[in-house]
Amino acid sequence: MQEHAAGLPETHGHEETHQHEPTGFWTKYIFSQDHKVIAMQYTITALLVGVVGMVFSWLMRLQLAFPGQLSLIQPDNYLQFMTQHGMIMVIYLLTAFLLGGFGNYLIPLMIGARDMAFPFLNMMSYWTYFVSVILLFAAFIVPGGPSGGGWTIYPPQSILPGASPGSEWGIRLLLMSLAVFVASGTMGGLNYVTTVLQLRAKGMTLMYLPLSVWGIFVASVLALLAFPALFVGGVMLLLDSLAGTSFFIPLVNQFGRQLGHEGGNPILFQHLFWYFGHPEVYIVILPAMGVVSDIIANFSRKPIFGYKAMVISILAIGGLSFLVWAHHMFVSGMNPYFAFWFAIATLAVAIPSAVKTYNWMLTLWGGNLWFTTPMLYAIGFVSTFVAGGLTGLYLGNTAVDVPLTDTYFVVAHFHLVMGVSAILGIFAGIYYWFPKAIGRMYNETLGKLHFWVTFVGTYAIFFPMYWLGAAGMPRRYYTNEAVTQLPPSSHELNIFITIAALTVGAAQLVFAFNLVWSIFKGKKAEGNPWKATSLEWQTPQTPPVHGNWGPTEPVVYRWAYDYSVPGASQDFTPQNVAGGPAQKAKASGKTKH
Amino acid sequence: MEGIILAIVLVLIVVGTTIITFVGPWGLPELASNWGSIDSMIIVTTIVTMIAFIAVNAVMAYFIYRYRHRDGRRAVYLVNDHRLEKILIIVTSIGIVFLLAPGLFVYSSFIQPPADALKLEVVSQQWAWAYRYPGADGKLGRSNIRFIDAKNSLGVDLKDPAGQDDVAISAGGTLHLPVNKPVELELRAKDVLHSFYVPQFRVKMDTVPGGITRLWFTPNKAGTFEVLCAELCGIGHYKMKSSVIVESEEEFQKWLKQQPTVSQTLGTK
Amino acid sequence: MEQPQQERSGSLRRLVADWASDRETFRVRWSKAMMWIFLLGDSFVFGSFLSAYAATRIAATAPWPNTGEVFALHVGGAEIPLLLVAIMTLILLSSGATMTLAVIYGLRHDQKRAAMWTGLTALLGAIFVSLQAVEWTNLIREGARPWTNPWGAPQFGANFFMLTGFHGMHVTIGVLLLSIIALRTSRGVYEQKRDYLSVELVGLYWGFVDLVWVFLFPFFYLF
Repeated sequence: MQEHAAGLPETHGHEETHQHEPTGFWTKYIFSQDHKVIAMQYTITALLVGVVGMVFSWLMRLQLAFPGQLSLIQPDNYLQFMTQHGMIMVIYLLTAFLLGGFGNYLIPLMIGARDMAFPFLNMMSYWTYFVSVILLFAAFIVPGGPSGGGWTIYPPQSILPGASPGSEWGIRLLLMSLAVFVASGTMGGLNYVTTVLQLRAKGMTLMYLPLSVWGIFVASVLALLAFPALFVGGVMLLLDSLAGTSFFIPLVNQFGRQLGHEGGNPILFQHLFWYFGHPEVYIVILPAMGVVSDIIANFSRKPIFGYKAMVISILAIGGLSFLVWAHHMFVSGMNPYFAFWFAIATLAVAIPSAVKTYNWMLTLWGGNLWFTTPMLYAIGFVSTFVAGGLTGLYLGNTAVDVPLTDTYFVVAHFHLVMGVSAILGIFAGIYYWFPKAIGRMYNETLGKLHFWVTFVGTYAIFFPMYWLGAAGMPRRYYTNEAVTQLPPSSHELNIFITIAALTVGAAQLVFAFNLVWSIFKGKKAEGNPWKATSLEWQTPQTPPVHGNWGPTEPVVYRWAYDYSVPGASQDFTPQNVAGGPAQKAKASGKTKH
Repeated sequence: MEGIILAIVLVLIVVGTTIITFVGPWGLPELASNWGSIDSMIIVTTIVTMIAFIAVNAVMAYFIYRYRHRDGRRAVYLVNDHRLEKILIIVTSIGIVFLLAPGLFVYSSFIQPPADALKLEVVSQQWAWAYRYPGADGKLGRSNIRFIDAKNSLGVDLKDPAGQDDVAISAGGTLHLPVNKPVELELRAKDVLHSFYVPQFRVKMDTVPGGITRLWFTPNKAGTFEVLCAELCGIGHYKMKSSVIVESEEEFQKWLKQQPTVSQTLGTK
Repeated sequence: MEQPQQERSGSLRRLVADWASDRETFRVRWSKAMMWIFLLGDSFVFGSFLSAYAATRIAATAPWPNTGEVFALHVGGAEIPLLLVAIMTLILLSSGATMTLAVIYGLRHDQKRAAMWTGLTALLGAIFVSLQAVEWTNLIREGARPWTNPWGAPQFGANFFMLTGFHGMHVTIGVLLLSIIALRTSRGVYEQKRDYLSVELVGLYWGFVDLVWVFLFPFFYLF
C-alpha cells in the first residue's frame, strides 16, 4: 500500500485528475480504475457470494425443521454451514457490498468528483477482495473442509484439532482470507475517507452532503480503526494454530490428552474480536441508514427531518461503537464489574438510534408519499430496524442478557437489526439507483412482488425466534429435539420458520430475474426518473460516463433535501441549481409552513 | 394503493406479533430459582419495548395512509423542529434509564454470591459435564489440568488434604442440589469454552479453560432440570447435556453420603 | 441551519466551520492526507498488538524472563545487557534525523542532498534490519522459538517474534521504498516534475516506523 502512496507519480490537483478513458476490454471492464466499474465488480461479486451464504442458511433451516431426515447434513456440516453463512453474510456480502459497492458508486457521484482520489488503489482494493473470496472458498477443498468454529471463531475450540470441523486448514485459510480482506478494506477505506474529505465539488460543504455519503464515510472511518483488531487477533490465532504459540490457549486436556499449549488467555481473543466486531455491525448499518434516509426524503417529497440531528446521530453511533464491545461478553467470564460500564454505554446507543427512527417517521409526516419499490424497502427497513433494535434493550442490559444470550433471542435480534435491515437497505438502494447505473428501468411489478414476500417473509422467519429464544432454545444446536424444556409446539414453529425462509429464498429468484431482464430489456430510463435533488442524478449522461461530469464539474448551491420548497416551480431543486426561494426559507430559520 | 396495503400489513404484523408474544405457547419456561427479579426485568422490558414497537409501526402506518400521494397533493416543507426533537430525546432517555437502573441493581446481586452458599465445582469438557462437591470439611481441594489421568479425571491435587474428602461425580453424572439453599458454582473447563445453562434457573456462565468463573443461584423448586451447553464447543455441542436434580436437604445429604470420596476412589496419598 | 457562521466566534466553532466548508478539509495533497489516515489506522494495528502483548504477559502462568539477561551481549568476557538493542535503537533514531534532512532538502529542491540523505536513511534502516536478524539468530541459537524458550513463559518468545517481526516488516518495506525513492531522486525524476512529494510521504511513513519503535523498545525490552 505504501508503495502506491509513495512510489507512484502524482497526478493531483483538482485540475488534472484524469487519465484518458481506457478503450481496451481489459482496462475497461476487468482492470478498470473507474469507480463505477469497480462498484459493479464489488456488487456482482458480493451478491454471488451472498447466494452461497443464503443456500447455507436454507440447509441449516432444513436440518432444524426436519432433524435427522437429511443424511446430507451431519453435525459437522451443520456447523460449517453456520460458520460460513455468518462470515459470508457479515464480511463478504454486507461489508463488501455497502462499502465497496455503494461506497464506490455513490461517493464520487454524490460529492461531485470525477472519480475516487486514488483510482489505482481502488482497483487494487477490489482485486484484493477477490483474492480474499478465493481464499474463503479454497477452504472448501482442503482436508477437513471449511471452519465450523462459528463466525466468532473463538479459540481454543476453533483451532484445536478434533474440536470442531475444519479446525486445521479450514480455519487457517479463513484467517488468511480475513487478513487479505482487511488489506482490501483498508485500501478502500483510505480511498473513501480521503475522497469525501478532499474531493468535494465547489460549494459542497460537509453539511450539504447527502446522508448516504455521511453513512458510508463514517462507516469507512470505523473500518479503518476496527479492522486492525481483527487483523491482530487473526494473526495471533493463526500463529497459535500454525506455529504452536500459546496466545489464546492455556494448558488444556482434550479427550484425555494434554496438549502442548500453556498460559494463554482465551478471553483476550474475544476482546480483540469484538473490538472489531461491534463497530463492524455499524459499518454495515450506517451506510444502509444513509441510503434509506435519502430514499425516504425523496419519495416523501420532503426534506429529511432534522438533518443535523441525523448527522450527529451517525457520528455518535460511530463513536460509541468503540466503547461497547464487551456487551457481547457479559457471561464470557471476563471481570464481571466491566459489565456496568458496557451496559450503560450500550443503552446510550439507543438514543441516537431512536433519534434516527423518529426523524424517518417525521419525514413521512406531511409528505406526499410515492410507494415505489425503493420506498417500500426503505419503510420496511425502518420497521425491521425497530423490531430488531428494540431487543437491544434486553441484551444490552446485563441482567436481562444473562438468560437470553446464546439463545435464538440473540439470533433474532442481530438478524433483524443488522442482517435483514441491511439487506432491505441494500435492496432499496439497488432499485433506487438501478436506473442511473444501468440506464434502464427495472420492472416495478416484479420489484414490488419481491418486496412483499421478502418483507413479510423475514418477519415470519425472525420474529418467532424471539419466542424460541425466550423459551430457552440455544444457538448453534444441530438439533433441538432433546432440549426438554422447549414446548413441543416449538418444533412446528421451527417448521414454519423453515418454510418462510425457503419462500423468501425463492423470492430472490424474482429479484435476480428482474435485474437480468431489466438490464437488457428494461424501459430506457431518463437521467432523473425520481426527480431527485442530489448530484448523482444530474450527470450529463445516463449511465454516467468516465469522468462523470463532462467538461465542467458541478457547483453546489444548496443541500441535498430541497423538496417541495414553497414558491419553487417544481417540487424539487437539484443541488447544482443556484438561487431560488429555498435558501431564503432556510435562512429565516423557522421553517414550518 | 400500495400505501394502504403497506399500512395494513404493518398493523397486522404488529397485532399478530404482540398477541403471540403475550399469549403464545412459547415463552420463558417456569422459573425454578431465586431469579424472579430477572423475570420481572424481562417483563418490564417487554412491555416498554412492545409499546415502542407498536407505536412506531402504528404511527408509520397512519402516516403512510394519511399522506399517500393523491392528485394535487404537495408536501409541506418542514426542515426541523427542535422542540419536538428535544422532547423525543428526553422521553427516550427516561425510558432507557427506567430500564437500565433496575437492571444494574439485579446484576450487582447476580455477581455477589451470598457467603453461606454451598460451593461446588463444575468441570466441563467435550462434551460432558462433571461435578465435585466439597466433603465434610466444606472446602474444595486444589486441582490442575496437569494431574488429569485415566482415573483422576478432574485433576484433583492428591497432595492437598482438603481434596481427600471431596466427592467427584465424573463426566456424564448427575448434579444433585438441595432445594432453597444458595449454590455457588466454580466453573472450570478442561479443553475449550463451554457455558453452563439451566433455562429454568435463568442463569448461564461460560466456562473458560485456564481460569475459574463463578455463578450463583438458589434453586427453589424440587424436580429434575436439564443442563445445556450454551457456548459453541464443537461437533457435540448440541448433545452436551446433563441433569440437575433439586431435592430436599435430607435426600441430598443421603445421596451425597452414598458417593465415594476422592480418597476412596484414588487412594490416600 | 447550515449557513456559514461568520459572526460566531470561538475556536471550536471556527474549527467546525472550517471543517464543514466546501474546501478540501486538509489543505494538503490528497496522498498526504491519505498517508496520515493510513498511519492512524496502522497505529491501531500496533496498539492492538501491544495491548495483546500486555494481556498475554499478564495471563502467562510461567514467570516472565529477565529481558536484560536475555538480550545481553558478550563483549570481552563481560555481559552487557541490552547492548545490541541499544545500538539498534540509536541507529533507528538517527535514521529519523537523516530522513528529516532528506525531506527538508526535498522541499528546497536540492536534488543531490535529498538523494544523499534519503539513501543514507535507507542504509541505516538496512543496518537496523540486519542487526535484528543477528538478534533473532542469537535467540534462536539459544533455543528461543515461538512456542517455547529456555528462560520462562512461552508467550515471551511468541510476542518477541511477532512484535519485532511485524515492526521489522515495516522497516523492510520502508527500506525498499527509500531505496527506490533515493534512486529516483538522484536520477532527477522529481526534479523534472518540480515535486518532491514522494520524499515527504516516505518521510511520514519512516517517522511513524520510528515512533512505533519508541513504544516497542521500552515496553518489550525494558519492562
